[in-house]
Amino acid sequence: MKNMIKQVFHSPKFIIGFIIFIFMLLTIIFYPLIVRADPLNMIGGLFNKPGTYISVKDVVQTNEYSLKINTVSAKLNSISEEDKKSMADWLIRFGNVKKSEININNATSLVNLWNENYKSTAEQTGLLAAQKQGYMRLNDKIKELMSNADVYIATKDNNGELESKAPLDSQAFVNTNDILNEKTFILGTDNFGRDVLTELVSAMGTSLKIGLVAGITATLIGLVLGLLSGYVGGTLDDFIMFVTNIFTVIPSFILLVLISFSVGQNARGVMLTACIIGITSWPWTTRSVRSQVISLRNRDHVNLSKLSGHSLPRIISTDILPYVASYVVMAFILQISSGILAEAQLSMLGLGPATTKVSTLGLMMNWAMAYKAPLTGAWWAFVPVILAITLISFSLNLMNTGLDQVFNPQLRD
Amino acid sequence: MKGYKKYYFNKVIWYVLTLIVAVGLNFLLPRLMPGNPVSAIAVRASNGMTDQTAIQKVYEEYVKTFGINKPLYVQFLQFVKNLFRGDLGVSFTYYPRTVSDILAKSVWWTVCLQLPAILVGWLLGNILGAVAAYIKGAWDKAILPAFLFLSNMPAFGMAILLLFFFGVYLKWFPTSLGYGYDLNPNVSLQFIGSVIYHYQLPFWSIVLITIGGQAIGMRSMSIYELNADYVKYSRFLGIKDRKVVKYVFRNAMLPQITGLALSLGTMVGGALVAEIIFSYPGLGTTLLAAITGRDYPLISGCTLIITIMVLIANLAVEILYGFIDPRVKAAQEE
Amino acid sequence: MGKIMLQVNNLNTKYITRQREGVYAVNDVSLIIEEGKSLGIAGESGCGKSTLALSLMGYYFSPLHYISGDIIIDGRNISSMKPDDVRKQVLGNEIAYIPQAAMNALNPTQKIISLIQDVIHAHNPKASKKDISDLAKERFELLGLPSEVLQKHSVELSGGMKQRTVIAISTILSPKVLIADEPSSALDVSSQKMVIKMLRNLMEKGLIKSMIFITHELPLLYNVTNDIMVMYAGQMVEKGSAKEMVFDPRHPYSKGLMGAIIVPEAGIKNRKLTVISGTPPNLKHPPEGCRYAQRCKFARTECSIQKVEERNFSDGRMYRCLYSIEEFKEAYAYE
Repeated sequence: MKNMIKQVFHSPKFIIGFIIFIFMLLTIIFYPLIVRADPLNMIGGLFNKPGTYISVKDVVQTNEYSLKINTVSAKLNSISEEDKKSMADWLIRFGNVKKSEININNATSLVNLWNENYKSTAEQTGLLAAQKQGYMRLNDKIKELMSNADVYIATKDNNGELESKAPLDSQAFVNTNDILNEKTFILGTDNFGRDVLTELVSAMGTSLKIGLVAGITATLIGLVLGLLSGYVGGTLDDFIMFVTNIFTVIPSFILLVLISFSVGQNARGVMLTACIIGITSWPWTTRSVRSQVISLRNRDHVNLSKLSGHSLPRIISTDILPYVASYVVMAFILQISSGILAEAQLSMLGLGPATTKVSTLGLMMNWAMAYKAPLTGAWWAFVPVILAITLISFSLNLMNTGLDQVFNPQLRD
Repeated sequence: MKGYKKYYFNKVIWYVLTLIVAVGLNFLLPRLMPGNPVSAIAVRASNGMTDQTAIQKVYEEYVKTFGINKPLYVQFLQFVKNLFRGDLGVSFTYYPRTVSDILAKSVWWTVCLQLPAILVGWLLGNILGAVAAYIKGAWDKAILPAFLFLSNMPAFGMAILLLFFFGVYLKWFPTSLGYGYDLNPNVSLQFIGSVIYHYQLPFWSIVLITIGGQAIGMRSMSIYELNADYVKYSRFLGIKDRKVVKYVFRNAMLPQITGLALSLGTMVGGALVAEIIFSYPGLGTTLLAAITGRDYPLISGCTLIITIMVLIANLAVEILYGFIDPRVKAAQEE
Repeated sequence: MGKIMLQVNNLNTKYITRQREGVYAVNDVSLIIEEGKSLGIAGESGCGKSTLALSLMGYYFSPLHYISGDIIIDGRNISSMKPDDVRKQVLGNEIAYIPQAAMNALNPTQKIISLIQDVIHAHNPKASKKDISDLAKERFELLGLPSEVLQKHSVELSGGMKQRTVIAISTILSPKVLIADEPSSALDVSSQKMVIKMLRNLMEKGLIKSMIFITHELPLLYNVTNDIMVMYAGQMVEKGSAKEMVFDPRHPYSKGLMGAIIVPEAGIKNRKLTVISGTPPNLKHPPEGCRYAQRCKFARTECSIQKVEERNFSDGRMYRCLYSIEEFKEAYAYE
């Protein structure tokens, strides 16, 4: 046993999978201790981008520092590539500017050329009216970017009138460390305005719990059935195998859908969903355990126990179980992985756990899709979730392969 | 050949039995719901309706469909009888269209998408596994592990990523439906072209996921076979590697075929959710609409059709396998 | 002396383990086999018999590596040939091999006739299917195998039938040298007899010109082979005719080996049964002196230190020991 454990921890595949998994597990455990916010708290708005959000009022009311930086060029660099290309195109065709004079990468020089040569009244042959309007709008946009018009802070005086307090200087900057009210969304917010990162960690924990419960359920059922079927044999074996084969071929997904739907929205909590998933995935474990038990039951040590008159439960627990243990552990790991996946699939169909108190990975995906996150470009609402599911599944599968290689030496490469 | 007949006969009988069980489950499970199923469903289905006559009509329709005043076995017999007539009931979300009508259209889209996708994924995966085992190098150290990582992604995950990257960001492919919304299904080049164009993203989501799982299995089998005694013996007889390798991969393929049959059920499940992402007009989207609309007859019909498809596919694979593997023939002739 | 079919001079080969260590499995082996003769190689499990067989094929596949020595088949030195040439020209048609537990050597999904076609095409790409089929049928008949076997897959054959089929396939190109590695060890007694009869048949009909018969079952060698060589820890320790080896072994190891036989043959059955205790030395770091010294009853101090060469005698006998014949006579007298 000790030797086996040593071998397991020397297997590279197992170690990599193990490290990834432990890393995620530690994150799930320790993150909530550090960040004590409620994961389901709706702080932000619909799909806020990742970044740091600072209070505007605080900014205005904090100490200003004057920095000699050209603020205009930064703004000019925000002109889109598309717009720059349009400008260059117009200048060459209608502005009498030679192609060699244009450097599309230098926004400042491009804008200067534009300001010198653009006339809305110029001869623009071949352009549709709409396109001409487009260029006029572009010109306005540029003018606005370039404007150094003052912005004022106003307060209300005693009569309720706005009285200008002070202009905002273009060269005025504040030190972000002085701002007290800020919130960083490392992964932005989801459709409800919840902090995605915090929610993700919490959801991973819940999904893992579901996977665990589903795995335990499935493995227990599979183990019991496999042991009985393999050891007792005869008609019991035939019957159990018949049922198992049927449930192998009927897609477990279908059973999941049917059962989840029938149970109804109200009863479908997290734990029940996990149990349902467990109940529909036992066939695989049963088969695996049974084949191992069959090969074991005629071994000498088992026969010896039989001759010694040991009872059936005792034989099973002391002579057979230890040898089946390795298969059971591997099956369990795989069941956790598929359980998490199954929950995600169910949630995408709307048959997942009906809960507003916790979040699961599947539910996060479902909400993201319902609010069309991909179409609006809110990648932070779904890419991290998909990555999380993939990584958990991947790490578990790696660990399983590593274990497989240790227990079945001929698979070692 | 006689041995064959018995083998196949047994298989077919077994599948028919499984089908009966599946039908039974399709019938039984929803009826195990606590409480009066009809009124509960009727209440949910008529949620939002204000017209009293309409609500009454929904209720009566349900009573007629379920026939709950009769004992359970009578209901089951009615259910089966209807099944043979092809009557799967009337949908509630798409009233008054019948379930069979809705399914008939969706089934083809799903089959035409998933069947080729799963087969292509299986084929590519096996090729990758074989190459990784024989040639090794970058194939084994980099490409295979990359696909293995991908195969751990749920099918809908890959679907969403492809949708986002190729559909929204790069705008190379359309993000939904099976064909252009301005077109009507007809046999024209334009329509077919549109279908193929819309087909790409869903197709590749399924294929990319499948490759990894198949590859790793084929690689193990190939390594196992490459080290087999008959390989060494063939070499001792002077036979060239090229010939030997052909036989190795042929032998390694066999368990992969069985593996395909076993994983069909899971793959189909994943692919259905992928369809939903693209609002692809297949069974996946239909199922989702049915679930959202608490449309019991449609859900029942969908799940039954999906089960039947998987059963047929499984049976087909098993029959195919019996022909290919001479060991099966030998076992039968004993 | 008849025509020499196989001559091996001072062959050395090794295995390289995963930890990159060398296991010196075949050390300084020399032998000669003439046309029409068969040589038996005896020794305990792990002494290097099978490794020697593989080495003689000239087919070095990792982890087996060639170090030095000559292998000359019918005048052709294959040690200097390129592996590809060896594969094309020598393997299968000049020198053939029957592996241990030949039942597993057949591809379960390939028809026997198909395998024969592959073998013949590998050496003679232009042969027609009909010619091959005729040759196969003829051979099988000659060797007492039913020709229905040709259309079957290996799964449909019994163990004994598989073994004999493998022998037929290996010899289909009438090789000059046939190496049979424990051809009957995994079979029941009647199948064993059939295998040996088949090998004899092949020799008599000239379908194989010479044979090496490897086994750990010594009683077989007396009835099957002309000469016997005893191997220990990768080296040849004694060689002589079958009769000489069984009735008058010289090397202490051979003596011990022959003493472990239970055989109803007259002259031997009254001998005391002996057992050789101990285990062979570690071939990663082979000892300088005699490799058998640790287990030898008659070992002297210099045995473990001094390098022991082969002693060749005019009557064709050879043994590898520091003792002279007189010293042996003295030592064995006290047995």
